[in-house]
Amino acid sequence: MSPCDFNRRQFLKYTGAATIAATLSMQDVAQAASVTPLPLGTPILVIVTLYGGNDGLNTVVPYLDPAYLSNRPDMSLDASEVIPLSDSLALNGTMTGFASLWTANKLAIVLGTSYPNPNLSHFSSMAIWQSGSPIEEISSGWIGRYLDSLPRDPFRAIGVGSTLTPLLAGDHRVGSMVPISGLQVPNGSLATQLELLAVSSTQDSELIADAAGSIGDLFSLSSTLTPVLQNAPPTSATPLAQQLDVVANMITANVPTRVYSVSLSGFDTHADELSQQNVLVGQVSDAITAFLTQVGTTARANDVVVMVYSEFGRRVEANGGEGTDHGTSAPVFVAGNRVAGGFYGEQPSLTNLVQGDLAVVVDFRDVYASMLEDVLGADADKILNNWSTKLDLITPVS
Amino acid sequence: MTAASDRLELSRLVHRFGLGPKPGEYLQLLAGGIPQARAKILARRSDPGLNALVTPPFPTMGQAPSDPTASAAYWKEVYDQSVSVAMWWMDRMVLADYPFVERMTWFWHGHWATSISKVTYALPMKIQNDTLRTHALGNFKDMSRAMVRDGALIFWLDGEENVAYSPNENLGREFMELFTLGVGNYSQSDVHQAALGFTGYNVDQTSGAVTFDPKLHDNDKVSVLGKRQVFDAVTLSDWIVSRPENATFIARRLWFRFISSSIEPPASLSKVFENRDISPLINSIARNPAMRRPQYSQAKSPVEWFVSACRALRVTPSKLPSSGAVSWYLDSMGQFPFNPPSVGGWPYDEAWLTAAATQYRINLAYYLVQNGHIDALTSVPKSKMVQAAADWLGVAQWSVRTERSLNQAVSDSARLALLALNAPEYLVNA
Repeated sequence: MSPCDFNRRQFLKYTGAATIAATLSMQDVAQAASVTPLPLGTPILVIVTLYGGNDGLNTVVPYLDPAYLSNRPDMSLDASEVIPLSDSLALNGTMTGFASLWTANKLAIVLGTSYPNPNLSHFSSMAIWQSGSPIEEISSGWIGRYLDSLPRDPFRAIGVGSTLTPLLAGDHRVGSMVPISGLQVPNGSLATQLELLAVSSTQDSELIADAAGSIGDLFSLSSTLTPVLQNAPPTSATPLAQQLDVVANMITANVPTRVYSVSLSGFDTHADELSQQNVLVGQVSDAITAFLTQVGTTARANDVVVMVYSEFGRRVEANGGEGTDHGTSAPVFVAGNRVAGGFYGEQPSLTNLVQGDLAVVVDFRDVYASMLEDVLGADADKILNNWSTKLDLITPVS
Repeated sequence: MTAASDRLELSRLVHRFGLGPKPGEYLQLLAGGIPQARAKILARRSDPGLNALVTPPFPTMGQAPSDPTASAAYWKEVYDQSVSVAMWWMDRMVLADYPFVERMTWFWHGHWATSISKVTYALPMKIQNDTLRTHALGNFKDMSRAMVRDGALIFWLDGEENVAYSPNENLGREFMELFTLGVGNYSQSDVHQAALGFTGYNVDQTSGAVTFDPKLHDNDKVSVLGKRQVFDAVTLSDWIVSRPENATFIARRLWFRFISSSIEPPASLSKVFENRDISPLINSIARNPAMRRPQYSQAKSPVEWFVSACRALRVTPSKLPSSGAVSWYLDSMGQFPFNPPSVGGWPYDEAWLTAAATQYRINLAYYLVQNGHIDALTSVPKSKMVQAAADWLGVAQWSVRTERSLNQAVSDSARLALLALNAPEYLVNA
């Protein structure tokens, strides 16, 4: 094993986070309960992670390209199974919601997105996307470093689920996790005694301080979120839509959160891909469209931007199991009222491959820089280690 | 008076190499001294704790019936078996008097992470679990040979789709990346050629039975890691496992899960693994001076926390009023046996310490205390109850903060047990 592998695997290790957890006090808890609502007009970023490596070519489909059809004889989508966006590219036919966002000019499709020398390992590649650092290996997430640049606030970035996503882990701050069913805390003397367990102690190691901090965070988050989440339990049927229901409820209740993280798994389609991937990208499209429709009826309609990515796309040529093996670049989606819809980058050639896989056209840091600067108002070159270019995906507020 | 460093080392031995002390065990081991305690914890012998445990049958389910009523019953049975195989394994972890083999099997399950979410049937998972237990402290070369012919693993990584005329790289890649060598120790060409070597194995999904079909196997020479020959799964596994990188990789994986996910092992650690014998390697790790140094703390995963709580409370998981409640709570906390989130296995340390997991842990602890035995606390006077809780649970030392909380509950021993099971010093093995 190379030293670099150990570091990639270290990705979940955020030593500095403990420093902050250790400072959590009863005053913090009381303060968080009376936290100020997020002012209207404050942009909000919703990050959707697709785990497993979504097949870009069966999502944004080069449906007339002979190389697409010949490389995938049993698993290509023909013209009747897609929704054309241009004379060469089409959406997977299950993605009717995204097609309507495209028509309304609210969907940006960033073609051929990856990073230099793409890594074909799920774990290494996802660590690269989530750390935002393809060259130098660093152990914090790019949203975690955004949190590092600001005062501590357990509400600023929230992931839906139970285990911490590396994306939200900085060197000094971590985002919070909220399960779909919301947070319930005990009351009375048990609450008092549990909150005593959350008080920081000079004897604490970093991990023990994290354990104490997680108990404290439960109480501080719950006091604000429980009324929000209990009033409107998720009603949707699919896992991603349920997570986005929770996010929509928090947004409309003015919870002071700038970044939300949700995810969907199951994209590692080495075999029998068509039956699985069509369903999954359909769920992604339906869930995000419904979510934007829901917040679109509120005063937050212009505040929300959704970004969708996966750790890699898949091989051009199908394998024997009517699936595809790990590949490289793939489209990233950015959606919302303020998004300048259209194609960015260009579709990589299916015949002029780089080491057998699709070429990289756009570096994902150009997308991240746009999200950091034009959605979160943060300093992208600092957070992305001197990265200086970006795409203009977001329409400036006039 | 026992040295604080002895309490710390013993706490690490019983929680990391055992699965937490049974009532009274921590003080008893402490009295005998560390060398004797370590020998007992690392011992492999017949286990009286498991005598009474009956293994439930996991019959081959065969194909799903087409009749709707029969089909519903079939799929309910499939689901029930997936819960009961997990409860059976957790019973073993809880009841064992010598839980070292179960602890090692648990490590290997996370290493060769295979999920019932795709495999679907309990029987292939049970067969894999038995294989991992057989080899848990044996030779890694033998374990790897068995695993490349394991039905659950092959099915999980699309091995049955991997045929000579159209190879599927999933098994070939993960075998080298995650199971034997680690990223960076092979090329994309090695992945492709290794996939060819693994071709030709079919799996019966419901029974896990593996058959080899020479017609689907690539009988041409392939070149993997510089060696060109006709490989099958066994010769390929042997060749890859013989690489020096395998010794470093496996040594680091064990260190990572038993000692520290943030501090690297000494470079010399893999020397004791030159013959690929697992037992000397894990014994060397258990004797490393890091075991006495404060900076090597580790968080318990949800299953490790649950099992250690059940051992302390003398609760048998499958005998709890509701297996459904147990599986729901553990699943909500992010970990249920036989269902890892991906082939990379489970996360570790800080990832488990979230507000979301905390609320489920509090509720599950309440449920366990209600259904368990806390005579370790009720048998001592109030003035000694807080220290008794540390001795009972194998905690080296409570912090001042935790002592203050527990002191508020000395008149209600069930409450004190609930708080102690949720104390930061119990969630994290110092």
